Amino acid sequence: MPITNDMKTKNLTISMGPQHPATHGVLKVVLELDGESIVKCTPYVGYLHRGVEKLAESMTYLSALPLTDRLDYIASVCNNVGYCVAVERLFGIEVPERAKFIRTMTCEMARISSHILGVATHALDIGAMTVFLYSFRDRETLLDLFEMLCGARLTVSYPRIGGVRNDVTQEFLDKLYAFTDTFPATIEREYETLLNENRIWKQRTIGVGVITAEEAINWGMTGPNLRGSGVFYDIRKFAPYDAYDKVEFDVPLGKNGDVYDRYLCRMEEMKQSNRIIRQCIEQLPKGAIMAPDAPKFTLPPKDRVLADMESLIHQFVLITKGPIAAPEGELYASTEVPKGELGFYIISDGSGKPYRMRLRSPSFVHVSALPVLCRDAMVADFIANVGTIDIVLGECDR
Amino acid sequence: MIKKMAKKLFLLEIVKAMGLTFRMMLTRPVTRQYPDEKRPAFPGFRGLHALARREDGTPRCVGCGLCSAVCPSRCIHVYTSEGADHRKIVDGYDIEVLRCVYCGFCVEACPYKAVVLTEHFEYSDYTREALFMNKDKLLSNWDNYMAGAKGEEYHKRFWRPMSEDFKAHDDQAVFRGAKQKELSNAA
Repeated sequence: MPITNDMKTKNLTISMGPQHPATHGVLKVVLELDGESIVKCTPYVGYLHRGVEKLAESMTYLSALPLTDRLDYIASVCNNVGYCVAVERLFGIEVPERAKFIRTMTCEMARISSHILGVATHALDIGAMTVFLYSFRDRETLLDLFEMLCGARLTVSYPRIGGVRNDVTQEFLDKLYAFTDTFPATIEREYETLLNENRIWKQRTIGVGVITAEEAINWGMTGPNLRGSGVFYDIRKFAPYDAYDKVEFDVPLGKNGDVYDRYLCRMEEMKQSNRIIRQCIEQLPKGAIMAPDAPKFTLPPKDRVLADMESLIHQFVLITKGPIAAPEGELYASTEVPKGELGFYIISDGSGKPYRMRLRSPSFVHVSALPVLCRDAMVADFIANVGTIDIVLGECDR
Repeated sequence: MIKKMAKKLFLLEIVKAMGLTFRMMLTRPVTRQYPDEKRPAFPGFRGLHALARREDGTPRCVGCGLCSAVCPSRCIHVYTSEGADHRKIVDGYDIEVLRCVYCGFCVEACPYKAVVLTEHFEYSDYTREALFMNKDKLLSNWDNYMAGAKGEEYHKRFWRPMSEDFKAHDDQAVFRGAKQKELSNAA
């Protein structure tokens, strides 16, 4: 039978996820396909919803901290710092210099480990498996350092309101410095050799998932996804928190706003993070690691708790009721996490618990921009697009 | 132009990447054969819970309940009653290990160094009951994994904040300049 052009065809609707290895967790996307090209792409989120915002309302400022670990669990320190910075600004707590440098340092460690995993899983989805295996070796070094620092590898809960949990050891600094000595060379020798010029990688990424600067801004994209389109926006530069105003670093920008440019941005950002870590170690001053002027917010020194009445009362009140002297007010504070801009909007009604904690999570915004990236795309490009926006569903669904 | 064509024709970038892969075959593997080859956890690793004992063997816990108050996942339950001389008696101390998120806040909240997280991390089991720790189990965890110098060292480093955290002191870690370079070269 001859095939005529007026043969009737119907679009096929398929559901990618929530259990699909390429969707990086539990993202469900319903795709409407005409042959192999995507007609419509609708992301459905919420499979990992734990109600972090609501949970925080019933917890003191102190014990809500581990909730933030579980947002972007690849780079949990960044979330912790984001939360702490928000609470500190709301209550006017001044963090000591040393704590600021330690936080900046650990944040950048988390950024490297997040980008390295993001790029690696992205490459794995597209078919370059070797990068994935190499990346886990370098990530392991960083996770070991986290374990040495605070006893946990992923969900670290290391920063505290007004400082950090415990001081860094000399062994930690030495090992981290040794890592920064070799890491940029490793990137160039291994990851970039494997990917940058690889013709398969280039064919799968160049010109795919293009989003213009204007569209990216309109969709609220932040982080490397926005910078890949050539928009210079980095909270570390525009509204520096912690010690970011004391270190030098460049913000890499892309040109075309496609998958390849975003990948290059991430690679360059890792090198810049490396630079920041080195500067932090070199400039690390001696000093307090907890704000001494905030006895109403930080736990009193343990050696005094059983020695004087005042400290004992502080200890009990802080833990059972939260900071009693919390001033009323509301504040939005945003920090640059590896995925983009993480914002905490906290309303304080003067009790020891946040009245409302609203999260602006970058992954959620990026998932909503997925249909834009998937315009005129094939099913295979969809995989590249999910990889390139580098989402973590824990943060997206909160 | 010719250079570009040659690059395309001879798959230069693929050959380069393959070269890297082959070079890697000659390096030592970084993976550990886990059950046979165990890496000890770093000091202060937040693993299985334990209840500390004093030197004379009695439990340190006085039942103030701060650990259960600070616990973000509400997994600690402390049961107390009034004793004959009006002292508080700790009747029960339960930790639901499966609910714990290992933030270590209980360690920081405890004024008496009573609850700790040990470095032991291989305690998976088949039943929920096995991972519901009562007071006796928690005390035996202390005897098994933390007793003696280890426990003291743990409290010295991780029972925080101490007074020294609020001011500068001499033995804080800082960048050691050229010496650091030597060290990193040696490593």
